[in-house]
Amino acid sequence: MVKISDVRQEAKRLLEKGKVRGVVGYVPGTRGGWAIPYLIQEAERAEQLVWDPTCVHNLALFVVEEKKEQAKQKEPDKRPLAVMVKGCDSRAINVLLQEKFINREEVVLLGVSCENSGVVDRRKITHLLHGQQAGEIRFGDNGNIVVVVNSERRIFDPQEVLADRCLECQYNFPVVFDYFYGEKIKKTPPAPYAQVEKLESFSLEKRRQFWEEEMARCLRCYACRSVCPMCYCAECVVDPISFAVEPTTTAEEKAKKIKWIEKSPLLSENFVYHLVRAIHLAGRCVDCGECERVCPEGISIRLLNKKLEREALRLFNYVAGTDSQAPSLLSTFQETDPEDFIW
Amino acid sequence: MRKKIGVFVCHCGINIAGTVDVKTVAKELSQYPGIEYAVDYVYMCSDPGQNMIIEKIMEKKLDGVVVACCSPNLHESTFRRAAQSAGLNPFECEIANIREQCSWVHKDKEKATEKAIKITEGVVEKIRWNERLQPIKVPVTKRALIIGGGIAGIQTALDLANSDIEVVLVEKNPSIGGHMIQLSETFPTLDCSQCILTPKMVEVSKHPKVKLYTYSEVQEVSGYVGNFQAKILQKPRYVDPDKCTLCDECSQVCPVVVPNEFDLGLTGRKAVYIPFPQAIPATYTLDIEACPGVLPIACGKCWDVCEPKAINFDMQPEVIEEKVGAVVVATGYDLYDKKNMAEYGYGKYPDVLDGLQFERLLSASGPTRGKILRPSDHMEPKEIVFIQCAGSRDPELHNKYCSRICCMYTAKHAKLYKHHVHDGQAYVFYIDIRAGGKGYEEFVNRSMEEEGVLYLRGKVSKVFEENGKLVVWGVDTLAGQDIEIRADMVVLAMAIRPSSGAEKLAKLLKVAQDSDGFFAEAHPKLRPVESLTAGVFLAGVAQAPKDIPDTVSQAGGAAIKVVSILSQPELLHSPLVARVNKSLCTGCGMCVEVCPFSAISLHEDKAEVNEVLCEGCGTCAATCLRAAIEVKNLTHLQIYDMLGVYLGGLR
Repeated sequence: MVKISDVRQEAKRLLEKGKVRGVVGYVPGTRGGWAIPYLIQEAERAEQLVWDPTCVHNLALFVVEEKKEQAKQKEPDKRPLAVMVKGCDSRAINVLLQEKFINREEVVLLGVSCENSGVVDRRKITHLLHGQQAGEIRFGDNGNIVVVVNSERRIFDPQEVLADRCLECQYNFPVVFDYFYGEKIKKTPPAPYAQVEKLESFSLEKRRQFWEEEMARCLRCYACRSVCPMCYCAECVVDPISFAVEPTTTAEEKAKKIKWIEKSPLLSENFVYHLVRAIHLAGRCVDCGECERVCPEGISIRLLNKKLEREALRLFNYVAGTDSQAPSLLSTFQETDPEDFIW
Repeated sequence: MRKKIGVFVCHCGINIAGTVDVKTVAKELSQYPGIEYAVDYVYMCSDPGQNMIIEKIMEKKLDGVVVACCSPNLHESTFRRAAQSAGLNPFECEIANIREQCSWVHKDKEKATEKAIKITEGVVEKIRWNERLQPIKVPVTKRALIIGGGIAGIQTALDLANSDIEVVLVEKNPSIGGHMIQLSETFPTLDCSQCILTPKMVEVSKHPKVKLYTYSEVQEVSGYVGNFQAKILQKPRYVDPDKCTLCDECSQVCPVVVPNEFDLGLTGRKAVYIPFPQAIPATYTLDIEACPGVLPIACGKCWDVCEPKAINFDMQPEVIEEKVGAVVVATGYDLYDKKNMAEYGYGKYPDVLDGLQFERLLSASGPTRGKILRPSDHMEPKEIVFIQCAGSRDPELHNKYCSRICCMYTAKHAKLYKHHVHDGQAYVFYIDIRAGGKGYEEFVNRSMEEEGVLYLRGKVSKVFEENGKLVVWGVDTLAGQDIEIRADMVVLAMAIRPSSGAEKLAKLLKVAQDSDGFFAEAHPKLRPVESLTAGVFLAGVAQAPKDIPDTVSQAGGAAIKVVSILSQPELLHSPLVARVNKSLCTGCGMCVEVCPFSAISLHEDKAEVNEVLCEGCGTCAATCLRAAIEVKNLTHLQIYDMLGVYLGGLR
């Protein structure tokens, strides 16, 4: 079991000694038992850190946001940022390291192991509790999840309440860290690509229908993009609003900006957005599942990522975020790479 | 202001006009927005065609020209030159390929015409954003690096040095001369190999324009055509060539004996040795691998006896940097490895020799002073079997290619054997006789007819020893019978393999190798001495198996190619290179990894393009997730606008 007191103690020590400029971790939320991500800068607040199945957020995102914030400052605090990382968060950090977006010295990683459990899916909990508010959600024995509702203690099997991404997860403990809490329990999910395989068994027509129904619901709120730690580009091809315009940008350069897609959430434009997003995550997505979690329309965004993840594994034996020193998938070529698609 | 664009549609006889209605293409284009003028003509590349373009540029004051014709590979430079002569920037002239990409691959005239119109319109959209670029000027270092000091390297060095170009010649062995200096006599005229090579060796070593590095290896080559920097590792010889008087005292006291490479192990040599009497530079070399240790306590006998104090145990490896403008690879060959020829007992029986070992037996300066004697018992072999294609032309088990020289040298070996052993019998097993050279056919015929060498068409299945004889089992496919010869000696015409260092060198020079490991030429017919890397040339067997006359010719060819680069005051490089948008670059370095020309590097967390190394291939632009890098005149916007035309309008 992860002893949160150890995490708190280390966080406190790092802040007291001034080794880090802040600690990104989880603290209790304002409503119900749901944790929220928080940047702690005062040592005494380290006591607030929590670790429970509601710590759903990928905190690597805050490393990205902080890095961008720093770039804007004239005299930024150069001390590293401490971050609590789960298995998936740590893999996201690895991709950021691999892509040289951050250097290893810029972060102190407080690795927490999900052990034989994971984080919960809020929708599943809400459904099981028939809308009642959970007072507290914590890890039980053998990966079970304990939910306290109206002072009543209910125990759920992980299969019932864990997020799909955790049920399919093979990296349930951090792969890169400075401090490690909990146990490294190897987990082998029975069918990590079951949903992809199910969809692939459909006819082309049925698949098109499935995706059209999914894409038609998209509001293009870009929550999935905002929550993704890999979507850190200064300018996004799908979003003409975020053009990187600098004081030196000439009128001609502005005129040359390409509007790749329309803003309106039409089916065709939604397709372009989601496909471009998925392709840009090929070999980079660590399946933290945040995109799907934040989607207000419940679109199966993970499924697209999962498909590309499996292709990378099948064709190139490549798993994103396991090695920060490895060259990235799409920038390497080997003579043994399959090329039977060329005809 | 919008550019005034002219469109010129070529019929190419019926090559294009047969499938594409060129009149309609010109008419449609004349109505396309921004087109000032559009016309068709039967052969745009002809003089009248080019003149028409020139006239119209001046008459209509065009600032962009699209020629709809064949592939830009063929006539882009023709039309750009024409546009330039009319006062237009050559990069304001573009080709729309409506032949290879349209008329030649379609049959339906209506659809092909529609496609030709779209292709041309796409290029019109592209040219609107074209920048007026200027070629990049690159200074030239008037020196050449030649890697390999065999006949190919020596000949290239001499041809270059005599053209007043400074040459840096690097040889990995203690002496220059390569394999040719090991040979006895050369086909088809039987002149003594050493006698014809040593004058060239002397000339190259004394030439004021040649800087010779023996016992040295090229470690690193960076830069680009006209401006390479080479790092050369000079291994310590532990003998000062200037002091060494070649008295041989050191060698006589040296207690270590190792196989002599020059005689391919048929004799031994000491740890301190001279490879052969005419070695250049004329000095002894201490082989540190064989020496018990360069310390007076370890042995030091050579140091004790050396009167001129030429032996210096304190010599260190030295890395020398040389700047050159071009590189010639002349690394030659190695024989196919012994271990691959177990079925012929090669490496197992002492009297099974390879071609080069037999050359040493024949050589007047060889281990037997020119007498043919069996290595095992020093008896004269009365029955000798030559096996051709040992490891060549055997795609299943060995090398698929023909080693080219074996037919001829086997005929020579058999002939010379008969000259030495009048009462002996020589047999040659062959697949075909390939004697395609001046005087070659006659030479082989003389071996058969005048010398009575018995040629047997067929392969040998096995060679084994029985009662002191080498039993050769083969088949005569012409007579259709199995053959058993009880021979005293067997000589294998071993296949030629690229030199052992070729792969490493190919990597450091970024030069391609073919599937057999030889250096790949840029074009098999029209550019046989050039590699695909600008400024790197090939000479001799490094490129493919060949004999001495062909090697010398190719060396001369490589030399003139080097001269054609180094004789220019500066080189021009295409300005169609990649450009980084630094505000979008996140410094992930993926472009650095994918660039096949190593033209991109990271500086202060941003990508930076070396424009001279960049070939404008666009791999970086396709890889960058942030669209932060693009190729000039093929920008994202241009590609987007072209796609817009092809797909029916996006903007």
